[in-house]
Amino acid sequence: MKGPTKSIKGHLILTVVLSQLVLAAGLVFTGVFYLQRRLQAALDADLQARAMSVAALVRYAEDGSHNLVFEKSLVPPPLDLSHPDFYEIRKDTTVLARSPNWPADLTFDNTKPRAYRSLMSSGLPYRALHLNEVPILDREEAPPSSSDTLIVVYAEPTLALRKQVLAAGVYIALASLILLGATVLLALWGIRRGLLPLQLLAAEAAQISSQNWELRAPPNAMRVEELKPLTDAMGTMLDRLRQSFLQQREFLGNAAHELKTPVAILKSTLQSLLQKPRTAAEYEAGLGQALEDMERLEKLLHWMLRLARAEQWAQGALQRDLEEIEISNTCEEAIAGLRGLARSRNINLELKAESSLVCKADPEDLELVWVNLLENAIRYSPAGGTVKVSISRHNGRGTVVVEDHGPGIPDKDLPHIFERFRRADPSRTRESGGFGLGLAIAKALVEAYGGTITPESTLGQGTRMMVMLPSERK
Amino acid sequence: MRVLIVEDELRMAENIARSLREGASYAVDIATDGEEGLYMAQSEPYDAVLLDLMLPRLDGLKLLKQLRHSKQHTPVLVLTAREEKESVVALLNAGADDYLTKPFDLGELLARTKALIRRGKGQASPVLTIGNLEINTSNRAVRRAGKNIPLTAMEYRVLEYLAHRPGAIVSKAELLEHLYDYNWEKFSNVIEVYISGLRRKLNDDSERQLIHTLRGQGYMLQ
Repeated sequence: MKGPTKSIKGHLILTVVLSQLVLAAGLVFTGVFYLQRRLQAALDADLQARAMSVAALVRYAEDGSHNLVFEKSLVPPPLDLSHPDFYEIRKDTTVLARSPNWPADLTFDNTKPRAYRSLMSSGLPYRALHLNEVPILDREEAPPSSSDTLIVVYAEPTLALRKQVLAAGVYIALASLILLGATVLLALWGIRRGLLPLQLLAAEAAQISSQNWELRAPPNAMRVEELKPLTDAMGTMLDRLRQSFLQQREFLGNAAHELKTPVAILKSTLQSLLQKPRTAAEYEAGLGQALEDMERLEKLLHWMLRLARAEQWAQGALQRDLEEIEISNTCEEAIAGLRGLARSRNINLELKAESSLVCKADPEDLELVWVNLLENAIRYSPAGGTVKVSISRHNGRGTVVVEDHGPGIPDKDLPHIFERFRRADPSRTRESGGFGLGLAIAKALVEAYGGTITPESTLGQGTRMMVMLPSERK
Repeated sequence: MRVLIVEDELRMAENIARSLREGASYAVDIATDGEEGLYMAQSEPYDAVLLDLMLPRLDGLKLLKQLRHSKQHTPVLVLTAREEKESVVALLNAGADDYLTKPFDLGELLARTKALIRRGKGQASPVLTIGNLEINTSNRAVRRAGKNIPLTAMEYRVLEYLAHRPGAIVSKAELLEHLYDYNWEKFSNVIEVYISGLRRKLNDDSERQLIHTLRGQGYMLQ
């Protein structure tokens, strides 16, 4: 699979950065919101105080006319000279006082005794307070039974408040960003440290070769909980690989060794033919011999390839569409093919089929299994003996037993009889034409069909080869 | 010279035998299993044994050890398919004199066999010289005083055997045992025929006899 490589480190860093960003945004938002609320509350209180203080400047005229006058000279100076506050004091609809910068069209909801409002005036944000029924504080000149009240509107610019909130927001955001940077650095360091065992493990794994199969997991990688399944899996994988590699190498070594003999014979035949000038008849005989030698070599190669194919198939590398076949038919074929050999050794071949057995298989493969088992049995049977093949069912599996009454196989050799190039007697090969591959091929084929092959032997009594195949009764 | 080949591959054994007969005029016997090989090597006086390792009944290494255990000093050349150092060392330590790995070259086998026999008889050079007689064992050329002397295969066999043991008395029986293989009918008077033929061919003008007859004991080349 091609494509950009993914980095665990990058992924983790991205996660950290994103979560930090969310955190910073939340912090800025709540900070600004809270500050804005607090500042506005303070401003509102200030507005009320200022409104009341301008309202306090209204008093009755001293002439007893009960007219209301406004002491303009006592108005406190604005805090911000360039953006002064503005105000208006009315009695009912009569305007008693109005600041010079009072905007023209300003209306308020007059129903509530007290109303705050944010507004824009000459391009600036203002906050205004509208107060109904403000009592007149001047009691000295007040007419008796006076219940006059004033309407006061006072507005203050909120520019300073906005600036403060903005500054606080920027400050929080900057602080968050700096913290974010520090967190990323810290996370980088932590992740690198955390992933270090993985790198050590990788470096160790890189040391694995056909000479060195041992995975020495670094101790700090062994302690990492998440890496344990990985190191364990690598260990078992390496074990399996090594086993299979060693098997292959042994097979190759054996094969090369086995090939040497026929090659040596062929070479010696040709060399002795060339040793001196010979007659045409001698050359002809020599070439005939060389051809025979060649055929033996070819036969060995054929069996080696057959074994390799059976084993490859047993490992599921090949898939074939298979038909259901009758097992006893393949046994009959195999026995028919070996009648000649059996007769020459004066051995009786018997087939006993208890029940019909059907199995999904290639008939040639099964026939080859029986031929190999039977050949072996015939080879080790004493003259006049009987080799019996019996077909039956056991525990839902088809069982084929090939039985001889030969000398039997010693217990110590029993586990090795299926090894390739193995012969019970390391040398009795040649006359019998076997290469020590027959049983290995039989085993590989049986296992390819999901079956098992079990040898049982009693010294002096004979050997039973039990083949179990998954099968159904017809 | 008489050589024993212990090899279960009959075809291989026959090829080697043919090469030894044609290329060195040796008498050759073949044993196709270990027990037969050991019996023959112990009962017949061979000048060299060529021994395969993978043998039926008795494997080559055991055969070699038993042979050496029974004080047999016959040179042994081992033919092996194994090239590993350990197995070669084990072979030489068991008493083998030389080894060849299969598949080998028949020419090399022939040369090594000749060298082993030579050494076994206490000779170093492939050219044997007795007085003015010169026998080149590598190409089987015989010269006396620089003159080429053509010999029959059997005459050469007799001369070569005597020349390997100059000054020693070699009985007729010994000659018969070393010049003929197992299957040959052995008649002692045949030896006399070859000896007289050799004398006639080797005689130069000097009238000095090289082959001496010691009545009732045997022959001597001097």
